[in-house]
Amino acid sequence: LSISGLRQRARTAAGLALAALVLALVAAPAAAPSPNLVLQVTTEPPGLDLTATPASATAGVIFYNVQECLVKVDRHGKIVPWLADRWHTSDDRNYTFFLKRGVRFHNGRELRAADVKYVFDRAMNPETKHPYPGYYSAISDIIVKDDYTVTFTLKSTTASFLLNMARQGSVIYPREAVDTLKSEPIGTGPFKLAEWVRGDRIVLVKNPDYHVKGLPKLDRVTYRFITDANAALAALKAGDIDVSMVGLGPEHVPELQKDSRFQVTLGETTNDVILSMNNSRKPYTDRRVRRAVTYGINKPEVVKGAMFGLGRVLGTNVDPLNPYFVDMAGAMPYDPAKAKKLLAEAGYPNGFEAVLRVSPQYQYSVRSGEVIAAQLQKIGVKVKIEQIEWSQWLSRVWKDAEYDLTIIGHAEAWDIGNYANPKYYFRYDNADFQKLFKESETTVDDRARRALYVKMQQKLVEDAPVVWLYVYPRLVVTKKGLQGVWKDLPLFVNDLSEVAWAK
Amino acid sequence: VRRYIARRAAAFVATLFFVSVLVFVVVRVLPGDPALVIIGAEGSPEAAARLREALGLNRPIAVQYGEWLGRALRGDLGVSLQYDVPVGRLILSRLPVTIPLTLMAAAFMLTAALPLGLYAARRHRRAGDYLAMLVSQIGIAVPGFWAGLLLILLFSVRLGWVESGGFAGWSSGLWPGVRSLLLPAFALGLFQTAVLVRATRSSVLDVLREDYVRTARAKGVGELSVLGKHTLRNAMIPIATVAGLQLGQLMAGAIILESVFALPGIGRLVLGAITARDLPLVQGVTLFVASTIVLINFVVDLLYGVLDPRIRYD
Repeated sequence: LSISGLRQRARTAAGLALAALVLALVAAPAAAPSPNLVLQVTTEPPGLDLTATPASATAGVIFYNVQECLVKVDRHGKIVPWLADRWHTSDDRNYTFFLKRGVRFHNGRELRAADVKYVFDRAMNPETKHPYPGYYSAISDIIVKDDYTVTFTLKSTTASFLLNMARQGSVIYPREAVDTLKSEPIGTGPFKLAEWVRGDRIVLVKNPDYHVKGLPKLDRVTYRFITDANAALAALKAGDIDVSMVGLGPEHVPELQKDSRFQVTLGETTNDVILSMNNSRKPYTDRRVRRAVTYGINKPEVVKGAMFGLGRVLGTNVDPLNPYFVDMAGAMPYDPAKAKKLLAEAGYPNGFEAVLRVSPQYQYSVRSGEVIAAQLQKIGVKVKIEQIEWSQWLSRVWKDAEYDLTIIGHAEAWDIGNYANPKYYFRYDNADFQKLFKESETTVDDRARRALYVKMQQKLVEDAPVVWLYVYPRLVVTKKGLQGVWKDLPLFVNDLSEVAWAK
Repeated sequence: VRRYIARRAAAFVATLFFVSVLVFVVVRVLPGDPALVIIGAEGSPEAAARLREALGLNRPIAVQYGEWLGRALRGDLGVSLQYDVPVGRLILSRLPVTIPLTLMAAAFMLTAALPLGLYAARRHRRAGDYLAMLVSQIGIAVPGFWAGLLLILLFSVRLGWVESGGFAGWSSGLWPGVRSLLLPAFALGLFQTAVLVRATRSSVLDVLREDYVRTARAKGVGELSVLGKHTLRNAMIPIATVAGLQLGQLMAGAIILESVFALPGIGRLVLGAITARDLPLVQGVTLFVASTIVLINFVVDLLYGVLDPRIRYD
């Protein structure tokens, strides 16, 4: 073998490499046919059983797509009939649901009233370890009248009963499938689970016997698990995914809005981003201090600096999608002079030191924290930012309330009850508020209930147990031509039944 | 040789035991509660407490470890807390991604680094040598995840030749599977290739200065034979040592690159397991990776005897 022989070989190798590249070109997949959709999601669901996990990753796949409830919260936040055609109550204590006829589970069997009874009896049974037993604690009895009629009797009037029937923990499944809900859930939804390749993707296919005519519009939906935001962005640009619903942050929006291949939809969510103060710790036990911190934060600037201007400034805990929302964003505007005065009154003329614990799992919380620390510096509050890992945040901050300040989004809809729970990590314990909340829970009349909600919000603003910063925006990036995606998220769901490609 | 193998096997078991105790204690000492992570911030504290009880997390660490060890000795690594699937099955399901990925990266590393290192040594202190060293310096300086992102931007976003990530699966054929691993394997192997080029170069340079190489040349032995027979073989022992260690590092590097390329491999499995405080899974994967690395080192040790028959094992 000589040097020229080596050269010859090198040439052959280069030729082979070129051939491999050409092959790659030829074998590249053609554009996806239109009735299919590939979505990116950040986290893989820990399991697919909505009666076992509260994970939003599970709800994003299963809820309203594979499994449904007696009633549904629609895209405008309204409770509408679903598996139940209609319902009736004469005394706000007994609710009778009339089931829609001819609804079939994915295994072909028809939905009967006995299934409904089974599902809620099981949810109420402590053995089941349902993640939200509280939603069903008001139910005292469930009576099957006939195959299509079922009556729920409540222990007392419960204003949120219907809403609880529409939540992710209240999905209806056939009793014979109860043991396989975790890996092969079946229900009545527009899509059936086709496969779950752990670590890579979940595939749903159209349910041809869906009980709503003309839906769903897609044949096949693939959820791909891509954790890294940059990888998600690259996948979107390479055309490997059609939609990103939660994977991208506000920092990606300006670039994508300029790109004619994509459409960016911005909407509202129920995710209230809050600077929490530990109300059981000094100096936050003092209302004047809490109010001073509120006056010391320039919220529009936080949204500008940390969220690229996306996200609506919030003044209280009720989010804009809630029917009882009152815009209180301007109730306590940025006023450092007033903040300093309040601090002096409370005995802190020179301010104090505070530790702000945030988890880098949620970048917006870290970025917001940086802006807020700089702002509070001006009223003499020296904030030290401490980043801790998410599982530590959960056990130290959320469970044990071992913190001064923290920032996190509260995604749950209708969560004003947290302020009536002195054990919640805010540690806000106010008898007046608790009384108001209790009353609102048993008031069914809409006007009276709204009045109570307004009162509660006013009370919260006055007391300033936490600082409500902004609503985390709904941010959907899709390829041009995709229609029917929910603009707002009145509850956390990823309903794909009406999603379709434009003709 | 038999005694040698027995001794190595004993060391193997001791290493695994040590690793398992270490991981068990470290994971449990870390603040963070698996039950809370599973239930999440929206579940009730009561539900978390019930789950903690059910998972047996209330008992002393020593008791938990004893129980785990007893089952592990019988081949049962326990059940993953987050997936509720046996740990052994989870690991097995991820091997068809990580093993080919590591092997492809290793193949890339060897086929690129050995000739380059040899070439650089032959061209010592000439332009070719400097160029090869410059390239390898860049390879060392560029972090794998960044190289991965750049590769994605070029080959999938710009050129559209390969998918930007994800794994096609071996069921769809050999080529689609290999194709989805090409970029990650390249990005993964880049750093190690650069290191190995340098190791090869210096090892070959050392041997080239030996008397027997000069003698061979003086005898009029062809240059290729001098390089292949007299030099490379003698230079192989340090190279094999470095390459063996690098195989282990490739597995570690896979943790990051599997995330960048959204590949369902061992690395992403263990990353998710650590964030979720999925103790049995972390434990199982660590043990698996530790055993693989110990095994690789063992094979490298045996290779010494093949490369240099003067080496005896006793």
